[in-house]
Amino acid sequence: MRILDTLGFGKIALTANPTRTLLILLAMSIGVASVIILTSLGEGARKYVSAQFETLGSELLFILPGKRETTGGLPPLLGTSPKDLTIEDALSLKRSRAIAYVAPVILGAAPVSFASREREVVIFGSSSDLKAALDLPMAAGHFLPDDDPRNAASICVIGNKLKKELFDNKKAIGEWLRIGERRFRVIGELSAKGQSVGMDLSDTAIIPVASAEILFNKASLSRMIVKARGKESLDKAEADILRTIKQRHDGDEDITILRQDSLLQTFDGVLQTLTWALAGIAAISLIVAGILIMNVMLVSVSQRKSEIGLLKALGAPTRQVLTLFLSEALMLSIAGGIIGVFIGLAGAKMIAYFIPNFPVQTPLWAIAASLIVTIITGLIFGSIPASKAAKLNPVLALSDK
Amino acid sequence: MIKLQDICRFFKVGDETVHALDKVTLDISRGDYISIMGASGSGKSTLLNMLGLLDMPNSGSYQFEGKELTTLSEEKRATFRRENVGFIFQSFHLIPRLTAAGNLELPLMLMGMAPKERHTKVKDALANIGLADRANHLPKQLSGGQQQRVAIARAMILKPPLLLADEPTGNLDTHSGNDVVKILEELNASGITLIVVTHDLELGERATRKIKMLDGKIIEDVTSEKPI
Amino acid sequence: MRITDYSLLALSSLKYSRLRTYLTALGIAVGIAAVVLLTALGGGAQHYMMGQFSQFGANIISVAPGKTTTAGISGAILSNVRPLTIEDAESLHRLPNIITSVPAIQGNLPIERGNRTRWTSVLGINHEVPDTWAMEVGQGRFLPNEPAEQARNFVVIGDTIRRELFPYTKPLGEFLRIGGERYRVIGVMKKKGQVLGLDMDDIVYIPVYRALSLYNRDSLMEIDLRYTEGYDEEQIINNIKQRLIERHGSEDFTITSQDDIIGTLGSILGILTAVVAGLGSISLFVGGVGIFTIMSIAVNERIKEIGLLRALGASRRQVTLLFLFEAAVLSGLGGIFGMLSGFGIAWLLHYVIPALPVNIQWDYVIMAEIIAIVTGMIAGLVPATRAAKMEPVDALRSE
Repeated sequence: MRILDTLGFGKIALTANPTRTLLILLAMSIGVASVIILTSLGEGARKYVSAQFETLGSELLFILPGKRETTGGLPPLLGTSPKDLTIEDALSLKRSRAIAYVAPVILGAAPVSFASREREVVIFGSSSDLKAALDLPMAAGHFLPDDDPRNAASICVIGNKLKKELFDNKKAIGEWLRIGERRFRVIGELSAKGQSVGMDLSDTAIIPVASAEILFNKASLSRMIVKARGKESLDKAEADILRTIKQRHDGDEDITILRQDSLLQTFDGVLQTLTWALAGIAAISLIVAGILIMNVMLVSVSQRKSEIGLLKALGAPTRQVLTLFLSEALMLSIAGGIIGVFIGLAGAKMIAYFIPNFPVQTPLWAIAASLIVTIITGLIFGSIPASKAAKLNPVLALSDK
Repeated sequence: MIKLQDICRFFKVGDETVHALDKVTLDISRGDYISIMGASGSGKSTLLNMLGLLDMPNSGSYQFEGKELTTLSEEKRATFRRENVGFIFQSFHLIPRLTAAGNLELPLMLMGMAPKERHTKVKDALANIGLADRANHLPKQLSGGQQQRVAIARAMILKPPLLLADEPTGNLDTHSGNDVVKILEELNASGITLIVVTHDLELGERATRKIKMLDGKIIEDVTSEKPI
Repeated sequence: MRITDYSLLALSSLKYSRLRTYLTALGIAVGIAAVVLLTALGGGAQHYMMGQFSQFGANIISVAPGKTTTAGISGAILSNVRPLTIEDAESLHRLPNIITSVPAIQGNLPIERGNRTRWTSVLGINHEVPDTWAMEVGQGRFLPNEPAEQARNFVVIGDTIRRELFPYTKPLGEFLRIGGERYRVIGVMKKKGQVLGLDMDDIVYIPVYRALSLYNRDSLMEIDLRYTEGYDEEQIINNIKQRLIERHGSEDFTITSQDDIIGTLGSILGILTAVVAGLGSISLFVGGVGIFTIMSIAVNERIKEIGLLRALGASRRQVTLLFLFEAAVLSGLGGIFGMLSGFGIAWLLHYVIPALPVNIQWDYVIMAEIIAIVTGMIAGLVPATRAAKMEPVDALRSE
């Protein structure tokens, strides 16, 4: 029998029972669509996170004071250590050819007040390099000037949320704020854009690092943010940092360097696994749909006994009967799969429409995998009813009413 | 007992209207033994379904013991069927999954009778038709005659006053057919109104009142003396 | 008609087409098993995290410097203009129902012994740590109860440190150099292992006053307070707040109770479990489509029977209920089978991978069962009403 005829035969059988066929297609397409939608969400989350890291710049290195030898634990984010990281350390790093910017950072919290309003916020003591390293966009005014970071000027740049809390819609530039016990003049406002993972600067005030030393009465940096000259310089930058600091700290490598790209890889790995897990969970429903195909095919084999008997009486070999029923099952599962892919893609589009900031993206492997799985499902679950049909005794099959 | 007045029933087949029943008027008394005969399509089965409230007329009136039935709701009609009508079909219509006892039990279940009560009733009924030893057999394990006897017992288990049989012997050999007819006539003798639709002249002639139909009309209605 | 009779008739027809029944029930069973298993894993994770957290001890309230307005690490822990002091910790200790008060500061320092050096987490605390954080001393004793400023240079070390620095000798009575100062080892903590990914044994404990001067700071990072079991936490938090405002003049600190953290964590993991259950129910839904299909087929096959039932006096409602019951029994059976296999797989997983926390979530199991039966009945409803709507004459006559 020619393939086209086989397909035609299957088509007639399937359209004879439209409700039944539609229900199976529904079941199959729900399974496939949920695989597509869930993997699209997972992939979207991955893209979202890497995009966030990307805006932060994947050429960033974070230097923390102190180190910890046990691997796997948290980096010493809160750590203090006896050998301080100093502004001088930061300046000395700038001499490396692999390093573009070094922003010394002193982190702290202090109450910020203007007129009768007060708010306790995070204070960033840093330098003009912070803007360059993190690529901070300004809403108004300008950032800290590019002068000697040891210069303790009484100026500050504020995040957009802090600005709103203290000034509402009034102009902030040029006003004097009180941070802790000192007064600072507002010279710039950060724009709402440029927020990213782990770096929310909207509710902060940024002051010169030397002013922060005075404010918090300490001469050690909380961390340094380093931007390498391009991704290919990252390794060299890391080596240079370690060498320089070791030299300056009497031979101690008492720092921890966190690389943006390794963090990204960790996140990426986690999210990739998550996406796979989601696909797997959704694929369970494909098995359920496969069981349904088998069930309905079995019913149709027993209802079409006389038809099978007739085919055999007309000289159809066992193999041909098998092929007929198997192709029917395959047509069902593949059609369901294709419909499911379209529903899934439409669903993903819809989610993308409702959550515009979230990059929903359907991975090609998910489409390919779900179609392959549907074919396998059709083959496996179709083969049992098909072989049952093929094995029917023609005489008995014909005599069955 | 039953008064049919100008009963009409028509079906639309394509553009044509087929009059299955055309102004049928009929009086039936309690205890009657009526045969309805006629060619295929003469409306005899429609008349039987009408009498059993399985079908509703398009116009006319159906009174049962003085009560008008054409205005009953579907749910009321169901109750009426359960309480007053027993049906017997040519193809027996036993449920293949249920045993003989199970099939007999069905009407009792539908009315919500307690299992204990049901079981004694079913047992008695099976004994009456001589199938006590076949209680747990499935229909396919019974002969045609046995199946029809089970169907009769099922129809009569709630002791309805009206028994409607549509070609009761049509699927049976002569011997089992005679058995079935014997049972039906015994029931009639005990006071039950029996109405039989049949092609079979011999069976038709046995009735005391013989109705002939053609094109939805009663063309002959003869009452004779009781046969011996 | 009696409910038992409905079920009896439903069972009889399900038994009649056995393979079909099994396969349909299997569809539902896979869905239920997925929900049971996935929620068991989610619940296991929840249980595990809670267990990890409670290892830090119960009834703990911690106070950190600075008022955090946004979530996350407050910059105030690193540096702030309003320090949290040892005196604050001592003052809070005197509040009613506070059993212990631990002032804490943490940093990373090299620990030297002879020519061995190891960078590790150095915690400045006081003698009340074992009673607060549910930690036990393995050898020797913990830091003694001494006035903060006069605390002697004693150190208690974690098990990993003992292994690294004293591989062959007894550590008790030996000296270590921490940040250039000499400390005598007076105790070794019992091995505690990893808690939430942190190695609890790679820590050394020194008196907090020493640590403050070592790190050259005047503010603590945290004060941990344990209160008497059974007392109103809110009241105690209020007392703490009042006392600190009295001392500092304003609310420049943040109070978190461990219950809060556990509660937040619990609700996050709870949501996760719910999401996972939702994903598992996709299969349940597909199983419902299966029931719908099979019931439609059943109605088609049994049109004559429906006609007969109507002739026997069955009402439309009774016919509907009959098919509904069949669908419900079908999905109920699948549900029970799915539940049992879900339990089985969960148990097996736990047996094969003992580290994998598994915890059967009964509420979800019951919910999934109810959803299965309701799905089954909804899926059965359309075919059932179609069956009931048929005209008895047409039904009897159909081929």
